[in-house]
Amino acid sequence: MGISDVIPLPVAVDKELEKWTIWGRPLTDVWFTTTEKIHEIIEMGPIKNVLNWGRKNSLWFLMQPMGCCGVEMLVFGCPHYDCDRFGIFPRATPRQVDVMIISGYITRKYLPAIKNLWEQIPEPKWVMAIGECAISGGPFYDSYNIINDTSKFFPIDVFIPGCPPRPEKFIEGFRNLQEKIKQREDKRGY
Amino acid sequence: MTTANDVLAALQSAFPGAIEEAKVAPERQLWATVKPDRIVDVCKYLRDNHSFDHYSGAAGVDRINEGLFEVTELLASHGAHQVVALLKVKTPRDNPSVKSLTGLYWNANWYEREIWEMLGINFEGHPELYPLLLSDGLVGAWPWRKDFKGYPDYTTAERAIEMVNPEGYTDYSFPPTEAEIKAGTVPFERPEYPTFREREEMEIKGESEMILHMGPQHAVVPGPFLLDILVDGERVKKAFLDVGYIHKGIEKIMENRAYQQGIPITDRLCYMAALTNNEAYCGAVERLLGIEAPERAQYIRMILEELSRIQSHLLGTAEFLTLIASAVFSPFLYMIIDREDVLTCIESVTGARINHSFVRFGGVRNDLPDGFKDMTLDTLKMVRQKTEEYKELFLSDSIYNKRMEGVGVLSPSDARRLGVSGPPLRASDTPYDMRREDPYLLYKDMDFDVITRKEGDSRARVEVRLDEIFESCYIIEQCLDQIPDGPIMAEGLPKKIKPEPGEAYYRVEDHRGEMGFFVVSDGSDKPVKVKARGPVYAYFQALPPLLEGVYIADVVAIAGSMDACTSEVDR
Repeated sequence: MGISDVIPLPVAVDKELEKWTIWGRPLTDVWFTTTEKIHEIIEMGPIKNVLNWGRKNSLWFLMQPMGCCGVEMLVFGCPHYDCDRFGIFPRATPRQVDVMIISGYITRKYLPAIKNLWEQIPEPKWVMAIGECAISGGPFYDSYNIINDTSKFFPIDVFIPGCPPRPEKFIEGFRNLQEKIKQREDKRGY
Repeated sequence: MTTANDVLAALQSAFPGAIEEAKVAPERQLWATVKPDRIVDVCKYLRDNHSFDHYSGAAGVDRINEGLFEVTELLASHGAHQVVALLKVKTPRDNPSVKSLTGLYWNANWYEREIWEMLGINFEGHPELYPLLLSDGLVGAWPWRKDFKGYPDYTTAERAIEMVNPEGYTDYSFPPTEAEIKAGTVPFERPEYPTFREREEMEIKGESEMILHMGPQHAVVPGPFLLDILVDGERVKKAFLDVGYIHKGIEKIMENRAYQQGIPITDRLCYMAALTNNEAYCGAVERLLGIEAPERAQYIRMILEELSRIQSHLLGTAEFLTLIASAVFSPFLYMIIDREDVLTCIESVTGARINHSFVRFGGVRNDLPDGFKDMTLDTLKMVRQKTEEYKELFLSDSIYNKRMEGVGVLSPSDARRLGVSGPPLRASDTPYDMRREDPYLLYKDMDFDVITRKEGDSRARVEVRLDEIFESCYIIEQCLDQIPDGPIMAEGLPKKIKPEPGEAYYRVEDHRGEMGFFVVSDGSDKPVKVKARGPVYAYFQALPPLLEGVYIADVVAIAGSMDACTSEVDR
C-alpha cells in the first residue's frame, strides 16, 4: 500500500516518498504504523528525553503503608517534608500511580496481594524498596513468614536503607529515581 | 477492696484440690495452676462471684523438657478490684487439649484460635477453630513449638514458586525447607477446616446479598488487613475480618534472641507506641530480675511515654479524619505539623523518630539533654492551644456531628463483654485506665483525670482521644516540675541477663489501651516465651459484631474511630 491510496497524490510523488527514510526506516512504514511502532520510533529518538522529563516530574506514588516506614510515608506526604513540590503525590489506588513503594515486611500471605497491586499499575511504572525489611527482611530476616529478598519479585530501582528511614531519605530516594529516569538507567528501561 | 490473697483463699475453699502451686507475687497478681477439668468452673466462679469480668488474654507456653504445654489465662476486673488472676492449665505434649473459655468470655475466641494455630493445642468446645494469622500453607506446622524446623529460615524468597491461581491472579507456593525435609515433618498433618472465602460464601443467603471486599491495601491505615462485608442493599449484614497479612512472628523471634535483643523488636510491634511497648517488656523483665529503675529514670520514662501518647493520638485522629471525608483534610495536615514538633522533643532525647529502643532494664539509655524542659513546655503550650482549636474546628461542626453521632454505639456492657480497652472503652462510660487501675512507674503520685464519655459512639471515641492530650500535657508538666537528680540506671546489672526461672506479667496503658507483656524464663539468657497482649487485637476482634446492621458509609467511620494498628494485631 502506498501513500497515494489514502491521499490523492500524483504517482510520481508517491514513488519519490517511498525512497524517503526516517531514522533508517522507510517513511511509508511510519505513515501506516501501529502504536507499537510509534513507540519503537520514540524509543530511538530524542523525543523520549522530553517524555521522561515529564514522567520524572510527576511521580505519583501508591499509599500503601505496611509498617513503620508507612508512618514515615504518611509524614513524607504532609507539610514539613512536602513531597508535592517535587511533583510527587500520594494516591490511594494502584490505577492512578507511577511508583509503588514497598514500605515494610512482605509476608507469605501478603506477597500475592502486593504482586497483584503491582500488576494493576499501568505502565510506565517503577518500584522502590524502603526500609530494611523491604530490602533484606530487617530485624525479622530469620522469621518463618517473611520474604527476605524482595528484589527477587520486583524490579526495584531504588533502595532506601533505614529502620525506618527519615522522611528526608524519602526525598533523596525519589531524587535518585528521577535522576535514573532522566539518564534512562531504570530497571524496566523507560 | 478485694485483694489477691482474699481471692486465693476463696478459690481454695471453693475448689479444694483443684488449685495447685498458688502464690501471690507481686501484690495484686494471683498465680495458680488449675486442674485441666476444673478450669471452666474456676473461671465461672471468679467471673460470677469475684467480678473477674475482663478476659485479658491467653498465652501458650511450650515446656518441651517437661513434655507439657501450658496455657495461661489472664483474668482481670473492670474496676471492681485490681487483682489480676493468671491461671495455668497444663496438658501433655502429645495430643494436647484444653477446655475452651469461649462459653464464658466472648473475646476468648481469637486468643484460643491463635494458640491453636501456633502451638496445635486443641480447645474443646471452641466454635470456630480456624487459622487467624497464618496463611493456609503454614497451618499444621505449629510454628511456635520449640521443635518446629522452619525456624530460622533464610531461604523463603529463594523457595517461592510463582503460579497462577484459578481466579487468574498470581499466587505463590513455598516448598518445605531442607531442615523440614530432613526432619520428616512435611507434609504437615493439616487439620480440616473451610477456608476464609468458603466461610464467607456460606453466609450468603439470598440473591440480593453480596460480599464487598475492603482491603487488604488501605491508603491511610498503617498496615494491611482484609475487611469483607456481606451487604444487603445499603446495610451490612455481617462482617468478616482477615488479619495476619504482616504477621512477622515477633514472639518466636524474641524467644531466640537474648533478653536485651528483644527491646528493638518490641519497638516494631506497634510503631506508634514504641515507648510503651518498650516499657511493658522492660517492666516484665525487671519483675523477673527483681530490680526497679531509679526515680529519675522513671520520671524520664513517664515524660517520654506521655509525649508519645500525644503524638499517637494526634496521628490517630488525623487518620480518622482523612478516612471519613476529604472535607476535613486540613486538620490532618495541621495535626501532622503539631506531631512533628512533639516528635522533635522525643527525638532530642532518644535520637529516633519512631523506633526508639530507649527504655532499658533498670533504667533508660540516656539523660534528658540541656534545654529539654523549656523546649517541651513551649511545645506543650502550642499543643494545648492547637487541640482547643481542633475541638472547635470539627467537634462543633454540625455536618461532622450529624455524621458521627450515634454511629457505632458501644454500650458499657457490650464494650466490657467485647474486651476492648483504652479510649473506646472509656468512651463507653467505663473509667478503666492502667495508670489508675494497675499503677506502674510513678503514676500513683500524679494528678490527672481519667477521661470518660457517656455516648460510646464514634464521636465520643475521638473526643476522648483529644481530651487525653490535655491530661498528658498536664502529667508532663508535673513530671518536669518534680523530676529529681540522680542516676538513670539501676546499679549492679550484669551485661548478660539471666533471670531466675519464673514468670512475670506487666501491663501498662498503651495509647490505645491495655498492653501487657507475659515473659517466661527458665534461667538461661533467652526467654522461653514472650507473649504480647495488645489492645488493637481486642479492637479488631470487636469490630465484626460492631459493624452488623450499619450502613456501608459508616463502616469506615466506625473502623477508623478505633485507631487501628495492624502491626500489633499480627505481631
